[in-house]
Amino acid sequence: MAWLWQWHNAGLSWLPFLGMVIGAIVVLLIGLGVVTYEIYFERKVLGWMQGRIGPNRVGPLGLFQSFADILKLLIKEDVVPEKADRSLFLLAPVIAFIPSFMVLAVIPFSRTHVFTANLSIGALYYLALSAITIHGVMLGGWASNNKYALIGGMRSAAQMLSYEIPLGLSLVGVVLMAGSLNLNDIVSAQRTWWFVIPQILGFLVFLVAATAELNRTPFDLPEAESELVAGYHVEYTGFRFAFFMLTEYLYLFAMAGLAATLFLGGWLGPWLPGWLWFAIKVAAFIFFQFWLRATMPRLRVDQLMSFSWKVLLPVALLNLVITAVVKAWV
Amino acid sequence: MSLHPALIAFFIIALAILSAAISFLTLRKVIYMALAIGAVFIGCAAVYILLGAPFVGIAQVLIYAGAITILIMFAIMLTNHEEMEPPFRWTLQNGASAAFCVLLAAALLWIIRSQAWPAQGGTDINHGRSNPAAIGLELFQHYTVAFELVSLLLVVALVGAVVLAQARKEDE
Repeated sequence: MAWLWQWHNAGLSWLPFLGMVIGAIVVLLIGLGVVTYEIYFERKVLGWMQGRIGPNRVGPLGLFQSFADILKLLIKEDVVPEKADRSLFLLAPVIAFIPSFMVLAVIPFSRTHVFTANLSIGALYYLALSAITIHGVMLGGWASNNKYALIGGMRSAAQMLSYEIPLGLSLVGVVLMAGSLNLNDIVSAQRTWWFVIPQILGFLVFLVAATAELNRTPFDLPEAESELVAGYHVEYTGFRFAFFMLTEYLYLFAMAGLAATLFLGGWLGPWLPGWLWFAIKVAAFIFFQFWLRATMPRLRVDQLMSFSWKVLLPVALLNLVITAVVKAWV
Repeated sequence: MSLHPALIAFFIIALAILSAAISFLTLRKVIYMALAIGAVFIGCAAVYILLGAPFVGIAQVLIYAGAITILIMFAIMLTNHEEMEPPFRWTLQNGASAAFCVLLAAALLWIIRSQAWPAQGGTDINHGRSNPAAIGLELFQHYTVAFELVSLLLVVALVGAVVLAQARKEDE
């Protein structure tokens, strides 16, 4: 997809354009497939950790459970509340979903970079686009004209904005060490060692901020079932609700890809092919998130903000200063 | 003039920016206006990317389309839920502003047309480097003092905001 931004010096012919379209469709299909089985494995892993069996009715070992759920969501009635702001209510899931798919464009899935945009600002591109999703969440909560949805929307906007700052700062250490914002260059810079070793402080900040950015336990306040019913998407039904869920799980996949790229060496690794290494690292990150969900209780809303500003931000800044000093004088 | 792909892309983007800007002015509900201004920001980012400055474009998305539009929405949601602008009427002030806007547009057009712009594709603004590297070198080699002054200004603004927020809390 790198051709897309080089029209002015390369000229656009039909073949690269076709390649771009096919690439986008393939990445979309990969994303949808990953999301389908993320949900299945989340339920299986949670069941296993809680001494239950988990889904096992549809297909062998319950492997088709997610397809059945998707089918159910698609054929449900699409309800728009009477007092809702109709056009914004219909638009919000679209605004939330589009960036979650667009960020996949810069994730280097494999050694050959078939479907990866060689963007010189890849890391920043991810951060900038994931901020657009906050609009969708917030507008969805507001347009529903429901107090729980509004509180959930405001909470998630505040949370995602605050945690984006430590997330961005934790990346800067990696960018300093690699000397580039291009995700492909960052992977190549990890040939001697993965950045998780020299950047362990940055990685820990990244891990916490990423969990908060994904609205997952212990930071799932925007969707706290016990106090907010379900947060910003409480009024949504059918395939619009499915879009919000798809956004969430697509971001889980993208964030896992980003973590693997920035800290775990991306597709680098001995013996196995690059895409398999990448898949293993992504699966490990996703499993870690499910594990956290089964283990941790939820934070209180007043602890949430102060933790971001008073703990994560100073630690990220400290990591940045140490990295800069070490890079300059060692 | 041949139809270069970049030119076609520019016209599509420009059309999108203009329609977003016009809907920003014609919409009556404040939250719709916030969304329209977000679309304008994203369109401007697309123009920057088209001009070979992806760093500026993405920074535009991150700061304007991301943070600032969300701040506007926060302000709207925290104040009046169903805020609507009253319908438009011609008054003396509106007429004067309209006349001034037309004058400003004419002046801008005249200045832009009278400049000798570099020919299309004549110079590489990044000097063969990647865009963030080119911007960084330019900032720290030629504009160091200005850059440091701007960061000082931002620190002052940040400290000032903290002090203001602190003072109000003590009053309560």
